[in-house]
Amino acid sequence: MKYCKTCHVHYDTPIDHCILCNGELESEGSEVLTYKFSEMQKKPASRLFIRIFYFLNIVSVIVSLYLDFADGLPLEWSLIVSITNLYAIAMFITLTVPTIWTSKLTKSIILTVLSVILIGLSIRDYAWAIDIVFPFVVLSNILIITILILANKKKWFDYFSSLLVITIIGLIPGLLNLFRVTTLQWPSLICFAYSAFTLIGIFILPSKSSREEFKRRFHI
Amino acid sequence: MKKKKYWYKLDNAGKIFPAVSKDDRSNVFRLSFYLNETIDPIILEDAVNKILPRFEPFAVQLKNGLFWNYFAFNERKVVVEPEPAQLCKYFKPDHNRGFLFKVYYLDNKITLETFHAITDGSGALHFLKSIVYHYFKLRGIKIDHEGKILSEKPMSKKESEDNFVTNYDKDKRRNLKEEKAYHLEGERFNHHWVLFVKAKVQSKDLIQLVKTKYQCTITQYMTAVLAYSIFKETVDFVGKKKPLKIFVPVNLRPYFDSVTLRNFSLYIKATYDSERTDWTFENMLELTKAQYKDQLDKDKLQSRISSLVGFEKNVFLRVMPLFLKTIAFKIGYKILGESISSTSISNLGLVDVPSGFKGLVTDIDFVNAGYGLAMTLISLEHQTNVILSTPLKDISIINHVISMFVKDGLDLVLDTNYKEGYDEIL
Repeated sequence: MKYCKTCHVHYDTPIDHCILCNGELESEGSEVLTYKFSEMQKKPASRLFIRIFYFLNIVSVIVSLYLDFADGLPLEWSLIVSITNLYAIAMFITLTVPTIWTSKLTKSIILTVLSVILIGLSIRDYAWAIDIVFPFVVLSNILIITILILANKKKWFDYFSSLLVITIIGLIPGLLNLFRVTTLQWPSLICFAYSAFTLIGIFILPSKSSREEFKRRFHI
Repeated sequence: MKKKKYWYKLDNAGKIFPAVSKDDRSNVFRLSFYLNETIDPIILEDAVNKILPRFEPFAVQLKNGLFWNYFAFNERKVVVEPEPAQLCKYFKPDHNRGFLFKVYYLDNKITLETFHAITDGSGALHFLKSIVYHYFKLRGIKIDHEGKILSEKPMSKKESEDNFVTNYDKDKRRNLKEEKAYHLEGERFNHHWVLFVKAKVQSKDLIQLVKTKYQCTITQYMTAVLAYSIFKETVDFVGKKKPLKIFVPVNLRPYFDSVTLRNFSLYIKATYDSERTDWTFENMLELTKAQYKDQLDKDKLQSRISSLVGFEKNVFLRVMPLFLKTIAFKIGYKILGESISSTSISNLGLVDVPSGFKGLVTDIDFVNAGYGLAMTLISLEHQTNVILSTPLKDISIINHVISMFVKDGLDLVLDTNYKEGYDEIL
């Protein structure tokens, strides 16, 4: 052990100076002292690159909007750049937050569809985004999760939230059809029907375990 | 019989932690046992996974519901890891196979770090004692458990019970208004590193001191020592309108005949006026004793339990979707939770281990890394460890606490995680 004659305390740590008074410690006996903790290593500033990434994207949004606005014409290309910049930030956050990959996939698909629609709106030509991209992307997501559930029944409750969210979103193209926002009807109708049947299936065909899952997910 | 699938609602104490935890506020606490031999990680992992199904509240993963988080059973295997340099390090359950605790090893030390959402110190201690017992068992060391190792007892449904809810009494609710407290501020160590200073003292010397010189309990003495040290060593406390408030978690199990492994503790607080300039250690101790006596009353504790549970039964709060609740909890905790306490003292008391552990388990740690400064106490056999942990670089309060112990005639052996050269890194 070691001893600090100023503070009158013993140490069983292999340090040479008292942490309280910084005085030199005296050795007591020949016992070999060991450090009982993992040693701290100097860490690189990993978040610096992430901050630079955010910063550059935000600068890009501001500069593009300013330049486009300064031209005096209606904003167009700058909106596409800005949406892409914000999409990059949102996707980065979505993919780096730890969660199961089906949840990441669903969130990524929602973000992508949203960005595509916004780009369509910014170029005043959104029919392709709403008529084709939106229903087909959502359809494929529901299909992937359904296949996953059928292939891995044991873990179906892990995919439950994603399936519920995406099927509810899948009803939107049908509503857009109803309010005549879409021009091409069949992709939206297929998406609506598939989502509606999946949703009905979730509620109408529950097994004992899925009833339990509902109880867990919706407990108040 | 063990259930294969189960789920729990989060208990009252645990509900807020998933929303408000982050790197510098991990809400993780540490318990470590030092053995007389180097730890074999393969055997340790085996021991943890053998007993895990017996401890249902630990074998869970956190899931999101539409209105609340909940715990669902977790059938994965735990992987033990080498102990990191940061104490009570924040971890994301998704990076930990969904589990809300971690088991570390380092030389002769087994460490359990637990996220406060699943349990408190008493629950985690049962789990760690069982891990260590099974570790010895797998090493071929036969020890009589003497009824002190939970994994050797039959499982009880009561262990998974939410005793906040079972002790809720609608008629005992009262308004829990809290004024803001003085805060310890200062430069912090880098990388969320927390300084650990352990003062080892002979339990009989400490008991003798508090009984004969001060006629109080160990926790009351420690509370007054810490309060007086803060009063003496801070330059901005006196004259500030905010009082010093030391929070002391109370294990509610003995009061309400509970055996739950889930959270079942509640804070009482010692409050000291900042406008008073003539504080002495003696009058701080007298005030501490009076406040403990007043608050450690079963009816008052139940009244606070009822108020807290009553809050979560609020219809408006219940129907609020989880993502809005998370935002509300973050804001609420920032405004109310953090600001109502200055520091905390947590005493786990004497750890009741089988006599066969004697010589095999040589030391024990209990660390609760909070912001500012945290004091924890734990005793094993004849030794009591008083552990002070802080993310702040200014250690004048720790210095004062130690010097008060020395002045009171206690013979101290210090241990620390600080190393020469750390000033360059931290």
